[in-house]
Amino acid sequence: MDPVTLELPHTLQRPGHAVAQEPMTRPAGPIVTGTSVVAFKYRDGIIMAADCLASYGSLARFRSENRLFKVNETTLLGAAGDMGDFQYMKHKLEDVMTHEYDMDDGQRLGTKSVYKCLSNIMYGRRTAINPLWNAYVVGGVDGGERVLGYVDLYGTTYTADAVATGFGKQIAIPMLRRRVEGRADEISEEEAVAILDDCMRVLFYRDCRALNKLRRAKVTAQGVEISEPYSLETNWTYAESIVGYGA
Amino acid sequence: MRTATAVAAPIEAHGHNHWSPYVDNGGTTLAIAGEDYVLVASDTRQSDGYAINSRYEPKAFVLSNNAVLGTSGCVADAKRLCEVLEQRAQLYQHKHDRQISTPALARLLSNTMYNRRMLPYYVFPVLAGLDSEGRGAAYAYDAIGSMERVTNSCFGSAETLIQPFLDNQVARNNQRGADPERLLTRQEALKIAIDAFTSATERDIYTGDYLEIFIIDAAGVHKETRELKHD
Amino acid sequence: MTSIGTGYDLSVSTYSPDGRVFQVEYAQKAVDNSGTAIGLRVKDGVVLAVEKIKHSRLLVPGSNKRIMTAGRHIGVAAAGWMSDTRHLVKRARDEAHHYHSVYKADIPAKIIAERMGMYVQAYTLYSSVRPFGVSTILACVDTDGPQLYMVEPSGQFTGYRGCAAGKGKQAAKTEIEKLKLEELTVRDAVKEAARIIYAAHDEAKDKLFELELSWICAESGMLHAHVPADVLAEAIQHAERSLDEDDDDDDEMEDEDL
Repeated sequence: MDPVTLELPHTLQRPGHAVAQEPMTRPAGPIVTGTSVVAFKYRDGIIMAADCLASYGSLARFRSENRLFKVNETTLLGAAGDMGDFQYMKHKLEDVMTHEYDMDDGQRLGTKSVYKCLSNIMYGRRTAINPLWNAYVVGGVDGGERVLGYVDLYGTTYTADAVATGFGKQIAIPMLRRRVEGRADEISEEEAVAILDDCMRVLFYRDCRALNKLRRAKVTAQGVEISEPYSLETNWTYAESIVGYGA
Repeated sequence: MRTATAVAAPIEAHGHNHWSPYVDNGGTTLAIAGEDYVLVASDTRQSDGYAINSRYEPKAFVLSNNAVLGTSGCVADAKRLCEVLEQRAQLYQHKHDRQISTPALARLLSNTMYNRRMLPYYVFPVLAGLDSEGRGAAYAYDAIGSMERVTNSCFGSAETLIQPFLDNQVARNNQRGADPERLLTRQEALKIAIDAFTSATERDIYTGDYLEIFIIDAAGVHKETRELKHD
Repeated sequence: MTSIGTGYDLSVSTYSPDGRVFQVEYAQKAVDNSGTAIGLRVKDGVVLAVEKIKHSRLLVPGSNKRIMTAGRHIGVAAAGWMSDTRHLVKRARDEAHHYHSVYKADIPAKIIAERMGMYVQAYTLYSSVRPFGVSTILACVDTDGPQLYMVEPSGQFTGYRGCAAGKGKQAAKTEIEKLKLEELTVRDAVKEAARIIYAAHDEAKDKLFELELSWICAESGMLHAHVPADVLAEAIQHAERSLDEDDDDDDEMEDEDL
């Protein structure tokens, strides 16, 4: 394919860079992005959260984006990274689910199968050097077993008791290592919500691309439940006592 | 294909202009071959930069012909390579009505990897099993399929720590009074594998959490899991 | 079929002197040899029913379905060649999928009926192909409410309140015409559909058959689905009872005659 050069609209140019110089083909990189997704296992299943912000660079562009998606009765998907690529993926998964419904064979795609399908799509795209610019968290209950997996634009996959993407990997995971790892079976829903809210609160304090308007979702044997957006109580008076950051 | 082909740079400076499809997820795998057995050991930590993705994400896989594929490098590639190899091993079984031998599978793995010469699997595998005489066979590869049968090998993030140790304790080349031809007993090999990993875990941040050891002999594959340091 | 053997029936690309395309009419014959399929469009949904004739007792109950789903919200009941049916259902699924990938909305009934009609019609134009030996009944609930279409081997597609195809279509149509379709609920319609299939079934010609029943309604989440086992059992019971009653009536009439 011949390289194509288009002049970017001024809104798309990086500060300090007048016009993109080199001819560039793919990959395009992310445009409208969502930040962290945080999820972990607890006694009844999987709990997950993501805020409602879709950023356009540093601009808080869309403030009521839903980054949690119910794939089927037992599977939940959380997305970070490019929102366009996420919408494409949702569409694709809907098609897969429709195809499964049409088969009319009494079989249902379990969480593990959805996770594998998603991973194959991601790996296929990275191998074509045309990645979907996302990190996904898949949570679900598959035949009574809790499943929590991660897949990103490289096709990297892993499962763990606690999974987070992007900044959440730096901020939320250390907290979850202490509060969740190894004791997932003991955590009640109430405690799970408290832990998750703590993670999201710290992320909101520290992540400039986060928003204090988020959704929480859980998957249990009863199915998938995604909450309406809500806010967390925050306290910024600490800022007064922080020395050395210009104040 | 992406429609936004011409968007030259992401709006924040991530430097994606030359996006690399590879990541190194750390971790270490070794193999030691003996007279009538072969041992594969690998840690189960998976990392991405300084972050630990998972403490238990195995990177050595038992194949249907009782060979074990130990990997290191990019997990996405490693898992796919393992799937492809297993598929081809099963295809062989269906066509020939018998399990593929480890030497044949070793060559098949080499070809499978070389077929992706233009976008290599970023994986440094060791394949271990028994040969047609029942002797332990270990094969070591580079990322594009160059292969060699070895008595010991180590790949991955602690390769530079462990391989010299294996050269000293397993191969015993250029050592006064040592017999380089002598193969290790199981107990010796097991002890060396465990020592190698506990020591490497001290110094290599990408190796740790759990150690999975596979011992393959005429009876089959025996697996044991041990703890490594969780830091 | 007065012109059989005059040479005008060999190709779909040749008309007969009186303006007919015999291959299409023969395809219709293939439909007429098949088990009866009916569709009922009622006030709160659509019901499909098929008399699936079984050629062997060894067939697993519920296998070789003749009512299939295309894109969750569309039901396809077929009379005619099953191999052709599966091909058309695949086409319907592809159309539904494609429409969804473009508009992110479920394909409306009249669009899929038109597209299926156009597709089938294309097989009536070329000497290199054989027309489809199948009539498909498409059921759908879209923004305009419950919809029912039938696509025939000629490519003709027509919207109906109730329709029938297959060997029992005359008997079935007579029965359907007696129904007040605008007033029926799907629950009633399921029973009526079962009764009609049982009534249209010719015990003398085909001994074994299985009733297939599906619906689209609030109870199925507005998706196309085979009716639950208890609904099916109830419908079959109803059908068998009304058959017995008819037999009794006939007996009485015969007595009177005597």
